[in-house]
Amino acid sequence: MPKRRNRNAGSVAAMTLASAMALSLVGTSTSVAQSARTANTKTDVTINVAIAYPGPSKNLLDQFTAKTGIKVNYSYIQWDNLQTKIVAAAEAHTYFADVADVDWSKVGEYYQTKWFLPLNKYFNPSSLYSQYPQLASFVRNGELLGMPSDVSLLVTTVNTKDFTKAGVTKMPTTLAQYAADLNKVKSGGVVQHPLDIPFAAAEGLSTYWYELTAAYGGEVLSPSYKPEFTSPGSPGYKAMVWMVSAYKSGLVPKGNLDLEDYQGFSVDQAKNLTASVFSDYSGDVGTVYDVPSSSTVVGDVSYIPTPGANGPAPNLANPDGIGIPAQAKNVSAAVTFIKWYDEAANQAAFAGAKGPSEVISGFPLPANVGGLNDLVASGKVPGAAELATLAEHHSRAIFPAGAPPWYPAFSNAVYTNLHSAAAGQESVASAIKAIASQVASLGG
Amino acid sequence: MADRAAGEGDDPRRPARSGNYRDGGQRGLTRKAPSGLWGLGTQRRPGRDGALPYLMIAPLVVFIAALAIYPTVLTIIEAFFHSDVLTPPNRFVGFGNFTDIFSNAQVRTSIENTGWYALFGVVLTVAFGTGIGLLLQRPFRGRGIMLAIVILPWALPGVVEGVIWSWIYNPTVGVLNSVLKSLHLIGQYQLFIGTRQIETILLISLVQVWQITPLAALIVLAGLQTIPDELYEGASVDGASWHRVVRSITLPLIRPALAIATVEALVMSLNIFDQVYILNANATTGSSLMSTTYFITFSDLNFGQGYALSLFATVVTIVASVGIVKILYRKVEY
Repeated sequence: MPKRRNRNAGSVAAMTLASAMALSLVGTSTSVAQSARTANTKTDVTINVAIAYPGPSKNLLDQFTAKTGIKVNYSYIQWDNLQTKIVAAAEAHTYFADVADVDWSKVGEYYQTKWFLPLNKYFNPSSLYSQYPQLASFVRNGELLGMPSDVSLLVTTVNTKDFTKAGVTKMPTTLAQYAADLNKVKSGGVVQHPLDIPFAAAEGLSTYWYELTAAYGGEVLSPSYKPEFTSPGSPGYKAMVWMVSAYKSGLVPKGNLDLEDYQGFSVDQAKNLTASVFSDYSGDVGTVYDVPSSSTVVGDVSYIPTPGANGPAPNLANPDGIGIPAQAKNVSAAVTFIKWYDEAANQAAFAGAKGPSEVISGFPLPANVGGLNDLVASGKVPGAAELATLAEHHSRAIFPAGAPPWYPAFSNAVYTNLHSAAAGQESVASAIKAIASQVASLGG
Repeated sequence: MADRAAGEGDDPRRPARSGNYRDGGQRGLTRKAPSGLWGLGTQRRPGRDGALPYLMIAPLVVFIAALAIYPTVLTIIEAFFHSDVLTPPNRFVGFGNFTDIFSNAQVRTSIENTGWYALFGVVLTVAFGTGIGLLLQRPFRGRGIMLAIVILPWALPGVVEGVIWSWIYNPTVGVLNSVLKSLHLIGQYQLFIGTRQIETILLISLVQVWQITPLAALIVLAGLQTIPDELYEGASVDGASWHRVVRSITLPLIRPALAIATVEALVMSLNIFDQVYILNANATTGSSLMSTTYFITFSDLNFGQGYALSLFATVVTIVASVGIVKILYRKVEY
């Protein structure tokens, strides 16, 4: 018995020792890393930036470092993955980045969860509205949760060559005319399925519905977040019927049931498998359709005023922003970076004003009026002047009162049910009912 | 196999095969375990190493405790709490999260879908894995290259495979449509994924089967390599057909390997996520338990329900795995 006791004691001691060794290894590496970090802070500052865009050119980042002494460790993370990382880090109260993506749809959520720092101390929203056309999308109850990092609009694009071939010489301004013209393109054999709607159960489908609802003259949620789409005569209901009918009637390619928005642009529209995108992203003509290496419709696609129920419709804002996570380590350096990123000259360069070397791939339009003016003045981006006008004077927030905190759950219900309706698994009425029921359960 | 047969008789360290059936002649030959470490030295007495074994496994224990046990315990606890960052505070709700998730039609659909994923995944993976294992059992020219090719899909991340197969299934420009049309099996290009539930699940499941079959094949192959040649030689002398040999010798003797391969396929199928996410996004036609858990947790931010669903998935996985082991696993000794 004593021997056995001794052996157990030895084993426990050994395990404890080994555990201590393992933990001390972890501890040592952590403290070494912390020491290194402290040491670095004394000489220079490195910030981690995680944005759902490719980074600015090395040349521009080097200029920033030379000017400010701040080194930038830039991570480009695909949008959906980035949102997951933000949630995981915030929920774990863990440092993730000093500057991170703040999408317009997340503003209500971040206001509620306090996962991002209000920026009012560094930027005064009331003095910036005139310079930033889509700033309102980032303000919730007076709190500025992110600075716009671009201007993005939901716009309509048309392959004018296809439309002309089908005998359409005057671009449509109403939805009825738009549908008639698409049918002409189809029946004329120009393009078999002329309309792109990305019906995959993903965010792009939801935004398409919002834009079409706006084109019918309404909004999906009231300012107090009540459903405004339940009546068959409501714009939201009509918009859903229109989308599902377009799919079932063959205006939309069958394969679009599994196609996400960006695939629709780069596969369907850029390869002339479709002739029009009703709810496209501003900037796609320059960054997708006019790119010879990946497009067969270079020079053929143009922006047109978005057709509405009785004439041109408003263009909904779909901007991205950047903000500072609550666990950021270098807040002042992060603020410096945001200010630099939003400088008019840099914004214009990201959008192509200084040529391809400074372009951020997929960047829509400069976030501020100064950048928009610089871009237009450069004359290097097709359609820039029209888009700048739309952005400054015709864009509207998707939710004028700001995105509700439960927006992701709402959007999930929208795209899941809209997809099911197109797939024939439920009727439009049933989809509408399910979405409204979700809104009610979320407290809308 | 030929190399092994040629060499083993000359190796004095290798234990001789007794040829006796320890279990009454039903399950296989009895092979005596080699004595001592690696079969080279004298047998060590228990306790002689003192604390050394514990010292050696301690780092692993620490890591498992930190990365598996702690999260599991946390999941069990949190599953009974309301934990929704949008509607604080967190509070104990008993089985409230479970009631909520099981009354959610989307969750119920995903559970049903996951049942189909498990069925397709297990049956196809084990069938293909066993078939490949049998094909690779005997040496032939280029066997090494074949093994490397077979293993390739296993090395690819699920997301990459999802992307590759999304092009194969693409209804506009996909290879599958092109092949079927050129064979005159379809008149026009078809939409394979998204409209019909079972078809969607089967096709997504095939992508995962393609990925995990190599592992199953290797497990089965390892099992096949342990079967003594004498048994096959005896069967050959007795004039047994290939079919009879497989049914009466091979399959019974690789039951441990089959059990492991089946459990592996089951666990992977119950946890299918990447392929579903890439090929079908969040559409209910193919949503899985894991994809629904992901959306509830990271999109809806309802962590309590996410924990509850994770716990449910864990329990189902454990119960099903234990059930399979009980049914399939039989100890085989030579």
